[in-house]
Amino acid sequence: MDFAQNLSNAIILGCTYLLMAAGLTMVYGVLKVLHIAHASVYTIGAFVGVLVYSWVGNFWLSLLIAMIFSGVFGILIYRFSYYYLLDVPRTVPLIASIGLFVMLTDLLQKPFLMGPYQRAFPAGGAGLPRIDTPWFSITSKQLLIFSVTIVLMVLVYLLLTRTRIGLGWQAASLDREMAAAVGINLNRIIALNFFIGSALAGAAGVLVGIYNNSVFATMGDLPSYKAFIIIVLGGMGSLPGAILASLLLAIVENFLVASIGYVLPRDSIAFLVLILMLMFRPHGLLGQE
Amino acid sequence: MPILEVERVSHWFGGLQALKDVSLYADREILGLIGPNGAGKTTLFNIISGFLTPTHGKVIYLGKPVQHLPPHQIVRLGIARTFQIVKPFANLTVEENVLAGIGMPYYAQFRGLVAPYRTTANVHTASHLLELTDLQNYRNAPANRLPIGIQRRVEIARALAIKPKLLLLDEPAAGLVAKETLELANLIKNLHQQGINIILIEHNMRFAMSLCQRIVVLAQGEIIAQGQPIEIQANEKVINAYLGQE
Repeated sequence: MDFAQNLSNAIILGCTYLLMAAGLTMVYGVLKVLHIAHASVYTIGAFVGVLVYSWVGNFWLSLLIAMIFSGVFGILIYRFSYYYLLDVPRTVPLIASIGLFVMLTDLLQKPFLMGPYQRAFPAGGAGLPRIDTPWFSITSKQLLIFSVTIVLMVLVYLLLTRTRIGLGWQAASLDREMAAAVGINLNRIIALNFFIGSALAGAAGVLVGIYNNSVFATMGDLPSYKAFIIIVLGGMGSLPGAILASLLLAIVENFLVASIGYVLPRDSIAFLVLILMLMFRPHGLLGQE
Repeated sequence: MPILEVERVSHWFGGLQALKDVSLYADREILGLIGPNGAGKTTLFNIISGFLTPTHGKVIYLGKPVQHLPPHQIVRLGIARTFQIVKPFANLTVEENVLAGIGMPYYAQFRGLVAPYRTTANVHTASHLLELTDLQNYRNAPANRLPIGIQRRVEIARALAIKPKLLLLDEPAAGLVAKETLELANLIKNLHQQGINIILIEHNMRFAMSLCQRIVVLAQGEIIAQGQPIEIQANEKVINAYLGQE
């Protein structure tokens, strides 16, 4: 019973990592930028979600608006920072990204935005049922996280593998110059990439906000590090790798905490895994050597 | 009216002048662009295809100036190019490489972007192009696993996918063995007969002389000669430029 329950909890946790890491992977794929400020988008998504929820009281509407807002915010981040840094060494946008992240977190802590408080996000499970089996239980919040993640990931998968824009992303991530030479408008393709990746981060923020019933300005700190670990584990820019790494990391975290207790703080496990991975398989699980 | 006119184009990279007042035209022909290393041939291609904006001068395509357009818009007007260093989309299959080039209008509008790319019509067009470039047998092979001669053909197939009126080939014969070079020459002649106008940069003199109807010679950023292959072969300036004599 414990095993099944731990596994189901781990999968739910993995879903929240996955939404965050998927967007980051997409951005990394096309721009080769480690987009730290992605975690700010996550926080902003949660903030917009909780605000809209307090006005309209409808979870689905607040999720939708939070995702659109986050997506547009992502485009703005691209247009006003990385856009100017396309042809410089990749460490430059990385540093810009760290600066952006720190700036946005500080800005969000201002009293006229989120302030230093935690806000409750009492959307519950948005009316979804609780599932009880003899082996494990899934709360309605968990079911919500799981189903929203699956739907969004299936949509992203279809977009990536079946459509023009997916082909365009693949082309642009392999060779931007050549992609332009077959008529792909790079700016538009990259902006859409940011829109979708950021919308996913916004969704992750909303879902985690609901799960913990708490939204606050620095909630992006930990996910920013973890999402990174996941894309390194998964193999920089490989989406299947990121999915696998999200689930594996969540499973390792859950089972280690469950079996050996809090010998290690839970969130340090991810870093331990990262260090081991870099020592023994530096190109990640599914990355190319 | 010629298809393409380059009018008094100069280009500087910082303090280095790569092109000096270059003017040329390309018509319904196979035009060769030859010259020693560093003559500015590829720079000129980059300017025509929109990857560089010339410091001075104009590029006129079908009567309209295009020197300020970005590459993806130039492509939509019907100017396709290949690169000196072959760059197929490495992880994609040969067919996907060609599919990426098919259907310019898709990339121009939002509805096109979310449209599926593997439609019956697109696959049909791709098959036709693969046949034309003799790549049918490599359809599902990842492009980066293929020998260079075949990768070059993938590049040409992908360039043809955009239905160009003008095709710029940057050293298409580089790295090819004799048999492949011969096949390439036949392919280029075939494309020309189908109404595609071609400008090619070439180092291989014999290849250029046998294929091109007219040749422009660049040396140190300037045009030093142009004319029929026979005239070029006899031109003293050209011989000096190649042999490094003054």
